Amino acid sequence: MDTVNLQEQAARQQLFIALYQKVFPAVAKYVSKHGGSFEEAKDVFQDALLSYYEKSRSAAIAINSSEGAYIYGTARYLWIKRYKEGNRTAQLDDTHINGLSNHSEPAAAEDKLLNFLETAGKRCMELLRSFYYDQLPMAKVAQLFGFSGVRSATVQKYKCIEKVRETVKQKALTYEDFLE
Amino acid sequence: MNNIVQAEKHLLKQSPPADALLFEAKMLINDELKSNVAAQQQVYSLVKQYGRKQLIAEIDAAHQQLFTQPEHLSFRQKIARIFLNR
Repeated sequence: MDTVNLQEQAARQQLFIALYQKVFPAVAKYVSKHGGSFEEAKDVFQDALLSYYEKSRSAAIAINSSEGAYIYGTARYLWIKRYKEGNRTAQLDDTHINGLSNHSEPAAAEDKLLNFLETAGKRCMELLRSFYYDQLPMAKVAQLFGFSGVRSATVQKYKCIEKVRETVKQKALTYEDFLE
Repeated sequence: MNNIVQAEKHLLKQSPPADALLFEAKMLINDELKSNVAAQQQVYSLVKQYGRKQLIAEIDAAHQQLFTQPEHLSFRQKIARIFLNR
């Protein structure tokens, strides 16, 4: 699993480096020209990359512009919102782009739970991430995690949901504000 | 496991309207099902937060590579000039 998964990660790394080289200079120029700093350019560019990645994964939402134009436009929009208009809380949510849900920081209780799952349930979280977040086809997920086929990977996916769900329920008793 | 599959279809809005109605009716009379479905909804939310957290770390790793590795010196200089010449 690890070798193949590392290949996936390396491929993403290459993609991000290529997009950085292609688009970051233009974002930096815009931000600098309008009096912003390197850190600000980095901040909005990274969120724009995240938004681009999520959009490009989702079959339901088509990006109607080139990747460069999308990332540049999103970064510029975020910079204006956050730094020009002085609204430092502006998140990706507020952008003109639909379909990207809450990017605000997770609530404290959810954050605690996330930290717990990162250590106690890493493999399940990685599997669920591949399918639901990275939106890889099940055949690819099966290959990445060393399952004999789509069927056994699907069974494992549901077992993982059950396992995490039980953790959620158990922790809900500890972090009372978690489940409302 | 069957319940988890059904709940997933319901939560991800993949079930036909008639099935969705039936499922909602079942939840009304079954508190355990109701709380399981609520918890399952949290699972998807957690997976999304997890995915984002990992991805942000990966993007940051790409940034670190570009701004520390010797082979990307010219890129760094290009960016540095942008913030110097203003």
